[in-house]
Amino acid sequence: MQRITVTLTINGERRQVETAANQTLLYLLRDDLGLTGTKDGCREGECGACTVLLDGEPVNSCLVLAGQADGREVLTVEGLAHNGQLHAVQRAFVEAGAVQCGFCTPGVIMAAVALLSRDPKPSEHQVREALVGNLCRCTGYNKILDAVRLAAEEMRDE
Amino acid sequence: MSELKTVTRSEIRTDAWGKVTGETQFVDDLSLENPLHGVVVRSPHHHARIAGIDTEAARRLDGVVAVLTADDVPGTKTFGAMIPDRPVLAFDVVRHKGEPVTLVVAESKLAAGRALKAVEVEYEELPPLFDPFEALRPDAARLHADGNLVTEYDLGRGDVEAGLAQSDVVLEETFHVPRVSPAYLEPEVAAASWRKDGTLSVWASSQQPFHDRDAICAVLNLPEEQVHVRVGAIGGAFGGKSDAGLPILAALAAWAVKGTVKLVNTREESIQAHPKRHPAVLRYKMGASRDGNIIALNAEVHMDTGAYASFGPAIGAVLSEVAPGPYRTPNVRVRTKVVYSNGPFGGAMRGFGAPQALFAVESMMDMMAAELGMDPIEFRRKNLWRQGERTPLGVLLSTAPSLVSCLERAAQERERLRQAASSPGKSSGVGVAAGIQPMGAGYGVPDDSTSRVEWLPDGRVRLDVGAPDMGQGTVSVAAQMAAEALGIDFESVEAAGLDTSVSPDGGMTAASRMTYMLGNAVGKAASRVIEALLDEAAQALSLPREELSYWGGRVYRGSDDAEGIAVAEFTSRAAEEGRVMSGEATFSFPYPPEIVPAGLPAGLPHVLFCYSAHVARVEVDSELGTIDVKEIVAIHDVGRAINPVGVEGQIEGGVTMGLGYAVQEEVKLKDDGAWTDSFTEYLLPTTLDTPRITPIILEYSEPSGPHGATGVGESGVGPVAPAIANAVADATGVRVTSLPIRPEVLVGD
Repeated sequence: MQRITVTLTINGERRQVETAANQTLLYLLRDDLGLTGTKDGCREGECGACTVLLDGEPVNSCLVLAGQADGREVLTVEGLAHNGQLHAVQRAFVEAGAVQCGFCTPGVIMAAVALLSRDPKPSEHQVREALVGNLCRCTGYNKILDAVRLAAEEMRDE
Repeated sequence: MSELKTVTRSEIRTDAWGKVTGETQFVDDLSLENPLHGVVVRSPHHHARIAGIDTEAARRLDGVVAVLTADDVPGTKTFGAMIPDRPVLAFDVVRHKGEPVTLVVAESKLAAGRALKAVEVEYEELPPLFDPFEALRPDAARLHADGNLVTEYDLGRGDVEAGLAQSDVVLEETFHVPRVSPAYLEPEVAAASWRKDGTLSVWASSQQPFHDRDAICAVLNLPEEQVHVRVGAIGGAFGGKSDAGLPILAALAAWAVKGTVKLVNTREESIQAHPKRHPAVLRYKMGASRDGNIIALNAEVHMDTGAYASFGPAIGAVLSEVAPGPYRTPNVRVRTKVVYSNGPFGGAMRGFGAPQALFAVESMMDMMAAELGMDPIEFRRKNLWRQGERTPLGVLLSTAPSLVSCLERAAQERERLRQAASSPGKSSGVGVAAGIQPMGAGYGVPDDSTSRVEWLPDGRVRLDVGAPDMGQGTVSVAAQMAAEALGIDFESVEAAGLDTSVSPDGGMTAASRMTYMLGNAVGKAASRVIEALLDEAAQALSLPREELSYWGGRVYRGSDDAEGIAVAEFTSRAAEEGRVMSGEATFSFPYPPEIVPAGLPAGLPHVLFCYSAHVARVEVDSELGTIDVKEIVAIHDVGRAINPVGVEGQIEGGVTMGLGYAVQEEVKLKDDGAWTDSFTEYLLPTTLDTPRITPIILEYSEPSGPHGATGVGESGVGPVAPAIANAVADATGVRVTSLPIRPEVLVGD
């Protein structure tokens, strides 16, 4: 397999990674960089567990080739907390009881972060639309929706 | 009783922080030393004879370490949750598509992938059986040595034929329920490492590490001491991870190559080759008197367990027990046949037979009410189980089932939902269903949980429940109950990890049993660890033991010691001197002899049930036949909500799984001969499919439960599909008898 070198900014840090040409961004993160917060649930873009932000936009990292991320900025769940302080969305997920098994959680949180950065006051329907690509089998979404609302309120107050 | 300190509060579960930051390690996230990659060569056929397996070409490939077949299994070549009918790796025949045939171990995923294609298996295809009725015909091919009937039940009381003859109204209907996947977001994963000292360490995403250990020992011919199974975070399980399949393969691979091997299923493998909820055909005949008393119920059930039995027999038992519903029916006969086929195998999945039965019986209840011109809630109330009476299986109901209250609340909610304005062009309907969910493994099956509490040097405690938390928060709930029993803060209880070599056996995380079992075990263990502390304190203070007492993290001397001494004084001393102060206790699921009938098959009856009632409002588009489920109210008696937010989470998640069962999900045989095997075709409810779910918690204290608690892990699922089907009938007049409800049956004329 042909090897390529990818240069990208991950969670604010510039990284140069040598990897297989057919490597996905998901496995560049997980295998090459050990960032295992991003999860693999289906490898076909249906479950959203691998959601990361690519230049601020949510993508299924299982559908993005590592080479496509060259020169771009990637934000993963590991990059959300700052100086030990959780991001408002992370805090809200904890407080609202939106975390059960936790496998979908990083992806859902990334999708919610992307939503709230472009729309600080989404309606419940807008939240549902923004999270439609993130499957959760545990919660029935009630508390995830509560958490996003809570996070939106907190972020507006900050 | 003193005021509760932490029980009944929605404490934040201890694992939430790690899960929102990505720090929590699931098995696939563990950093293992030089891991090899295991991949499974699976059968492309539903049913075939294996004429030959040639692994030579695959073995010779670069980076390939081993290619294992059934010949490489040193111990028992088959295993199973109840019947050892399932090959570790197939030999002679394959019985379902996706069955493991060979196991490739390679240095990289790439090499493993190449080897996967290079393994040559020669098959002679055999005609597959997919229909349980056909599989039972005398001329059908025998899929297993003992034939295609795994087990059958014939249960009940009274005289059904006479009862039906006496009835004023007799209704008959046949219901079909689909094969569905637990579809947890984390596919099955296991890793194993062979150590130089001859021990095997296995990490599994598993609900049953002790069972997995025993299965691995049998397959590898190893003594118990040499195999440790560890469980970390589990990305959802819902019953489907009560399956030793992948842990055994990982262990076999590590043992064979004397190294570390990880196996991760793809989503396709997960859907094809891991346990699913059993499809079933349920033929019902119900007779009632004109004034609304059910006189007789006859149910004949065919349950398709697919290629292997897994928990099929036990699920058949629960299905049969729930089949008559929570009603006083004097004449009942339930005959259930659990049948092999060449379908993907069935196994444990949230509800364990109850969702199938509840769809049928709760649909029948509405049909009968309509026939009698009665309100469906009133008809149910008139026939509900009552205190002091016996259930159809003969269990004496020593306490009053709270179903009356569940249905009263459902009646109020139904009124509210009936007021809701329907969308233009849609017909709106409201439906109700009651639910019962048996708790525990059932009479005659060992059902114990052992917990251990240990003082830490700083005066906090470590809690070891020996049962996996599959995501529902069971360990945090147990920690709350431990804190309560010791009168200390929730934060002062640290949960231990799970390793079968050191943890007490908490039993399987299953059967809505965890809060009840762990609460009782932890309560007893806490009393013992207090005794251990007081022994230590008596020695340290040179005082008679009986003059000392403990409460709330302090030891008191005599009755007028207002201040007491902090526990840490004693725990630190003990730690320095190398003494461990711990208390361990086992709780066994109680079956009081005076309420349990004799003579039933093992696993029957259950004596505790989770009671519920659901109300659903739907809107049906009569042109397209599509259903919008607008709201579901789920009323659940949990005895006592130890952690209310956690209880709501269980209800909401269970209801959503029930919604998928009702209108979306099915693993089916497609025209191209393949099974549904991806999320592109297997549609789970999304944020846009799932309405706001309104959980309503009732707390009718169960005398044998910790703080009165029962269970809630499974009960959310079962009533959803019948409540929706009843709502659809209310909206359209069409009685749906098959799940998932397909739009084509609802398209108007």
